[in-house]
Amino acid sequence: MRISWMIGGAQGTGIDTSANIFGKVVSTLGYYIYGNREYHSNIKGRHSYFTLTISDKKVRSIPEKADILVSFDAETVLQHFNEIKGYIIYNEGVKGTKVETVQSMESEAAERISKQLESENLPKTVEGALESAKRRGVKLIPVNYDEIAKKVAEEAKVQLSVVERVKNVIGIAVSTKLLGINEEHLAKVAGSTFKQELYRKLNVMAIKKAYELTESVYSLPKLEGAPERYLLDGNTAVAIGKLYGGLRFQSYYPITPASDESMYIEAHQEVLMEDPKTGDKKKGAVVVVQAEDELAAVNMAVGAALTGIRSSTATSGPGFSLMVEGIGWAGMNEVPVVITYYIRGGPSTGLPTRTSQADLLFSMFAGHGEFPKIVVASGTHDEAFKDAVLTLNLAERYQTPVIHLVEKTLANSYTTVPKQDLGVGQLYADRGKLILSPPEDYARFQFTEDGVSPRAPLGKALMYYTGDEHNEYGFISEDPVNRNIIYEKRMKKLELADKEIPEEERVKVYGNVNSENVVITWGAPTGVFIDILEETKLDFALLQLRMFSPFPSRFVSKFLQGRKKIIAAEGNYLAQAGKIVKMNTGIEATNYILKWNGRPFLRDEVEEALRNVIEKDVKKVMLSGGS
Amino acid sequence: MAGHKFHWNDWCPGCGNFGILSAEQQAITELGITKNTVIVGGIGCSGKLSQYTRIPVSGVHTLHGRAIPFAVGIKLANPSLEVIVNGGDGDLLGIGAGHFVSVGRRNVDIVVILHNNGVYGLTKGQAAPTLFRGMKTKSLPRPNINDAINPVTLALASGYTFVARAYAYDVPHLKEIIKQAIKHKGLAFVDILQPCPTYNDINTKEWYDKRVYKMQDMDPVVKSESEMQEKLKKAIDKSYEWGERIPIGIFYKNELVPTYEERIKTSAPSYYDNYPAEQKIEYEKKLTTIIDPLLEERKVSEDN
Repeated sequence: MRISWMIGGAQGTGIDTSANIFGKVVSTLGYYIYGNREYHSNIKGRHSYFTLTISDKKVRSIPEKADILVSFDAETVLQHFNEIKGYIIYNEGVKGTKVETVQSMESEAAERISKQLESENLPKTVEGALESAKRRGVKLIPVNYDEIAKKVAEEAKVQLSVVERVKNVIGIAVSTKLLGINEEHLAKVAGSTFKQELYRKLNVMAIKKAYELTESVYSLPKLEGAPERYLLDGNTAVAIGKLYGGLRFQSYYPITPASDESMYIEAHQEVLMEDPKTGDKKKGAVVVVQAEDELAAVNMAVGAALTGIRSSTATSGPGFSLMVEGIGWAGMNEVPVVITYYIRGGPSTGLPTRTSQADLLFSMFAGHGEFPKIVVASGTHDEAFKDAVLTLNLAERYQTPVIHLVEKTLANSYTTVPKQDLGVGQLYADRGKLILSPPEDYARFQFTEDGVSPRAPLGKALMYYTGDEHNEYGFISEDPVNRNIIYEKRMKKLELADKEIPEEERVKVYGNVNSENVVITWGAPTGVFIDILEETKLDFALLQLRMFSPFPSRFVSKFLQGRKKIIAAEGNYLAQAGKIVKMNTGIEATNYILKWNGRPFLRDEVEEALRNVIEKDVKKVMLSGGS
Repeated sequence: MAGHKFHWNDWCPGCGNFGILSAEQQAITELGITKNTVIVGGIGCSGKLSQYTRIPVSGVHTLHGRAIPFAVGIKLANPSLEVIVNGGDGDLLGIGAGHFVSVGRRNVDIVVILHNNGVYGLTKGQAAPTLFRGMKTKSLPRPNINDAINPVTLALASGYTFVARAYAYDVPHLKEIIKQAIKHKGLAFVDILQPCPTYNDINTKEWYDKRVYKMQDMDPVVKSESEMQEKLKKAIDKSYEWGERIPIGIFYKNELVPTYEERIKTSAPSYYDNYPAEQKIEYEKKLTTIIDPLLEERKVSEDN
């Protein structure tokens, strides 16, 4: 079972809140949800929308065409009427609105829609768009939001302005009625978001009136026996994961879509720790600094890490660009620090609030000179949580910067994660060669067999750090022999990591492992392909790359040997992961499914593309879904 | 102390840095804080000071302009450490000017020492932000085209709560100023007039010796909230005195402004009792942080 729901409106008019309430309504009935938020780089007024998939099984994608659209304004209808296959709930009041008068719409979109309506001989208005959808079999549900609000105001004997806020619940109520969800359940969940009794009452009245407008067409009964689950977005998953993993210093400079992670941690600046042996509980501070820029952010995090604590920063492309020099210093000085890199559309400020996978090569090769870097990419929400702990462990074990890639899609989408998927209780801390009682003659960069030196916190021993080449003690040295030895010591750590970290943990395989078709992907598109594997009979193996450095070359090489089709599927123009596979294994992709329009991989467009690639051997498909 | 392959010192003969290093060593030793002290430097001759300390203090030689953020990270993670930043005028007021100003808003309890010689020494004498317009030091192809920053005024305007100036060749006085700066609760700034015998042939030792004088009439200490404005104004006025007479000494000292550490304590009351560098985040590899309440908030159940 898979039903998808969409809500749109002007940014700042409660679209997010409505989507949250709706998400809660269905998930508390026992259903799994996966929701994605799309928004402009704007505070108020531009079009934003939210797409939600509902399923009785775990779900990780949104479709290209939704079953239900809830709209309040003209632009939402105009932007999405082509993307709806079931029901459009619309505001009767905006029917007459002409395309050309919707100021907030980008001119390219307005022109595209006008041309389409013209070609269908329809008026270039909201009504025309609705008619176009109707011709395709979409059912229209007109709602007079103002009339309902007026009636509620009259009945409750309050001013109309007080009732304004209940308008959002009307759209939700019509949707839940369509879904066959009972009125009381909606009233309860919606009511819990309001503190004041009056608003609860007004909500119930509005819901009642909205429920009279339509009949139920779907049937979503309460699911019994649903396991314990959490509603998590990617930013929060990483933030909670970091706190759990023992992060105690986070610095950041505001940037979308990374900031929410830091702000969550800042809101939880003090954590409770329990000594598992004695059961003693103690509170501890987590320092979060909103720095003056990304240069400061990364270097503060590096400085903090020198004291032996777990430290990180979070940013996006433009910020990461500024952090590169600091990351190089951390590499040179073998400092464990985690940089959570939320990828959005570039180059430059690009598409600041849209998704992308185009920064993979940049993240791997960031920095002048050579130094080991570990690069991990999460594909799903539970991975984002677990990887937050994993990256902190890897940073300390190999004493090197770790870059954790999370795209905007994963950061801003939310889903229901079963408790057991998070692995709380099984995750552990690996602090590597951290020593708290260093010897008198401590050399921070002592040469060792495996290249990793015992690491003492700054303050526990005398030590010297420098970005210049240095000797075992951390003193500047340009000696050619020392240079060779210490350079190799640093680089060797990546070889050690490659030896120690099981390759099976660096890639995940799904589907028919013996299939002649292999899809290689990473990050958020992974979920889309898993959904397709679970829901269709398409024959392919899915190879999810989770670690790009050190790259699991032997595993990938072996896995790809002799396959007929190797399909690189990713959110960039260059097929960057495909390039990394070729660089490490010599094996080149045969087909490509690529997308770089700033929107996530959509379930249906990917299925269609896969069919074209597998059945018709189309070499390259450019995906263009999303509005 | 390990043969301590202490580093060969790269500074030119007669460099003002020797006076600064000597004063810093004496101040730290006399205060008895060697083991707890971390010297953080940027890039350039000044930044290398972190490598040349012949007393048992740790040294962190960082990136051009970024010594302050490194120092802030170190201090906030472990407030029991004494953290002293050393940077040149190019380092702190050119490439790192944003950090120099921003740290003032935070009043982090660290010391910032400016090696002020008007030139970029290590890259062969280009004009630095404290060199006055029209000055043509010997390595400049043309007279300096930019105006100079007044570091003392800038520090005062940025919120530093201890602001002083000293002279690299008056080591006893400089040492006292550095001691006061370290003891100060809050962000301290010391502008050190430092001749560069190799590249700055104008602001030489002879030039400074004639001009610097110790302020006698200045009462820089803010004793109550009501005095803050007035004392700050006086300090700013005094900071403009330059030319035939150049004042050295403390311009401003105010311990009434809460430090950044104290501000953290308001949102995380356990900060001083259990600061980040002291916390036990694991026990025999078991993670100790309890996140159940955070997850509970996100739990999907009929009750929420």
